Amino acid sequence: MDIAEVKKPRSNAISIRNLTFRYKDQKEGYAIENINLDIENGQFVVIMGPSGAGKSTLANCLNGLIPNFVRGKYQGEVWVNGKKAKEQTVSKMAKDIGLVFQDFESQLFSTNTKLEIAFGPENFMVPRDEIHKRINKVLKIVNLEGYEERQPSTLSGGQKQRLAIGSVLASQPKIICMDEPTTDLDPIGKLGIFKIAKELHEDKELNLIIIEHETEEALEADRLIIMDNGHIIKDGKPEQVLREIELMDSIGIMALQVPKYFKRISSIVAEALPLIPEEGFERFTAMKLALDKKKYEEILQSELERENKYGDIIIEVKDLEHTYPNGKKALEGACLKIREGEFLAILGHNGSGKTTLVKHLNGLLMPTTGNVYVGGKDTKNTTIFEIGKEVGFVFQNPDHQIFADTVYEEVAFSPKIRGCSSEEIDRRVKEALKAVDLEGYEKEDPFSLSKGERQRVAVASILSARPRVIMLDEPTTGLDFKEQKRMMELIKKLNEEGNTIIIITHTMWVVSEYAHKVAVVKDGEMVMYGNTREIFGREEELLDTFLKVPHIVSLSNKLGKTILSVEEMVACTKGVKQ
Amino acid sequence: MDMFLYLDKDTFLHRLDPRTKLLVVLATFIVALMFDTLQVLLVLTAIILTYGYMGKVLSNLKRIRVILLMIAFFSIVLWSFAKGGDTRLLGLITLEGIIYGFIIGIKFNVMIISGMIFLSSTKIEEISLGLVKLRVPYRGAFAFSTAIRLVPMIVGTSYTITQAQKSRGLDLDSGTFIQKFKKYVPLLIPTLISIIRGTNVFAMALESKGFGYDDSRTNYLEIGFDWTDYLVIVLTVAITAFSIFAKLNHLF
Repeated sequence: MDIAEVKKPRSNAISIRNLTFRYKDQKEGYAIENINLDIENGQFVVIMGPSGAGKSTLANCLNGLIPNFVRGKYQGEVWVNGKKAKEQTVSKMAKDIGLVFQDFESQLFSTNTKLEIAFGPENFMVPRDEIHKRINKVLKIVNLEGYEERQPSTLSGGQKQRLAIGSVLASQPKIICMDEPTTDLDPIGKLGIFKIAKELHEDKELNLIIIEHETEEALEADRLIIMDNGHIIKDGKPEQVLREIELMDSIGIMALQVPKYFKRISSIVAEALPLIPEEGFERFTAMKLALDKKKYEEILQSELERENKYGDIIIEVKDLEHTYPNGKKALEGACLKIREGEFLAILGHNGSGKTTLVKHLNGLLMPTTGNVYVGGKDTKNTTIFEIGKEVGFVFQNPDHQIFADTVYEEVAFSPKIRGCSSEEIDRRVKEALKAVDLEGYEKEDPFSLSKGERQRVAVASILSARPRVIMLDEPTTGLDFKEQKRMMELIKKLNEEGNTIIIITHTMWVVSEYAHKVAVVKDGEMVMYGNTREIFGREEELLDTFLKVPHIVSLSNKLGKTILSVEEMVACTKGVKQ
Repeated sequence: MDMFLYLDKDTFLHRLDPRTKLLVVLATFIVALMFDTLQVLLVLTAIILTYGYMGKVLSNLKRIRVILLMIAFFSIVLWSFAKGGDTRLLGLITLEGIIYGFIIGIKFNVMIISGMIFLSSTKIEEISLGLVKLRVPYRGAFAFSTAIRLVPMIVGTSYTITQAQKSRGLDLDSGTFIQKFKKYVPLLIPTLISIIRGTNVFAMALESKGFGYDDSRTNYLEIGFDWTDYLVIVLTVAITAFSIFAKLNHLF
């Protein structure tokens, strides 16, 4: 009789009442607890929060994957378009709500794009003519016209995710929920997804729910929900929520840089904080602020000193060209001179050739023409085993690397196969675990750790070989802001201790705050190479390669100087009335 | 790297109904398993290769050439010892053994090649649709085609993992066969874990796209028999029937 008392919330697209869920193998607490949420028809909602906040759990509750597919203790009610999610099979719910997952590799399974899109409507017994019409319509929406016959595996990451969205759109659900659709994508891929989201939102009938890490993109939404520890802790208009800098900082979501900066230097009330660089620029001039030339010179000076302290050239790349066995030219005329102690970031879209480039630096690939010298030796004349002593490579996905039962074994692997004595192994493991802040984890099973921790185990297992150069492929992907920050601080520390660092990344704030130098690869060519500050000053040029500088850099560029972080900006600001 | 076997081309072979192509595979298996005569097997191989050549899919054989050669090699080595016979060449090795090993090698290879031609010229959706038309329940047909689909995913994952371990100093290239084998064992764990994680998302994505919404479903692809199908079917049945007849009457 309890249902009769609550009015059946049929009018809303989504109504959630007192929803609590605990996974079957979860020992304590709840993944989400006592969630109450109503989403009206046509709303565009963004959900943000740190890892483990319960965002994906909530998304999976919407179409009944929880509790019908993923089991656990489930309480409360979820109504979607007047249907009770728990009582329907997932495939029945799929007609009303479509779910897009982060992992685009695993959600595509057809031989070509057309059939991928047809799969949903086929299940719902849509007539063939109608399916044909829908395919054409969807291809247009997700901007994949002309790719009808392509195998999904041959598409780029962004295209794959767009196809995944299209395959869900084809069933014409009223609600579309995307669970971190852009996390694994490069900047162009991200842009494509946000563009689609914006266009979909123009359809007033459609509900869009996106779980996202990118604060800068949340501004487009009608409503922003912040989750932490299984609870909804904030719910409101994005412009309001995003001005609550302290809240963002405290739960570990990246705050927008412009309001953060103004909050630091002035006592403007939250409601009046500027949000984006353009607004920031206006406010900056209105407040009669100025940039302190002397302070700026000091920063430049300290950077120059840092550069003078670099050691000898440790890696040199000369006119490197690489053609894959299938005849595809991946890299052309790349030149790099990396000196000991440098911190280099390599940027570029997926398939631009940046991974091909770094694989040459540790001997995984050999140049087709040109040369790569590591520690003075030509990689053509040495083995990967030899180069491995100098250059360690942390792969993007720690799960591709980890195989041992304990953290100790994992980290001990490298020194062991290099024939170190057991005392030496012990010492190195200790040292490596200390460096990544995982002391006391020796006996843990690596697979029971969180993604951020597994990432650190992977780094430790490279450190234990004591390479002079450490390369990391997207070390921050899939981590939340707090974990990203922690990872980058760790890398920075390693750099300050004398290691040369090379990272591949899509995360622009990471580059601007940590990297000394930047190389931008586009379509197999190195189009930009230089100091981070100099490169980030060329904002327009970067945009041509689909790279967007962080907001604070953009603001400072408008003011005629290139400033790389909020801290620097605060230090360089003059004219603030105390 | 392109991991899928299917080669998207427009030939008569690609346009054949998947059921017809399945029949050809089945017939190859029957004939190959029935005969131990070198001449018959060579003729069969020639027919199958022509069939594949006309479909322009033989380039895929390059990808499995190592497997094909290994089978032939091991078969010859094994049988040259084990078969016995009158013409002793060296120790236990006999000429009859070598010839028999060669025959067995061809027998298995022609079956693999025939299967490969089928997979190279038929979309996975066509295979499952063909099976459905043969009264296999859709879920069963889908499971079968998914198994085929998983192979490239596994190959891709293990390739990345091998590279990751090489970068850590695992020397996978030197040593004897046994030593190499031992070195590859640790790689199984990350491979399996990645695949299990992947298939979990795969299953969730399937359900979320309405898989199993109803017992019946629309098929966007259309398959049906054409005059070429009838021609191939008649030829296949005739050859198979003649082979069985010949076998029963000990003609070869």
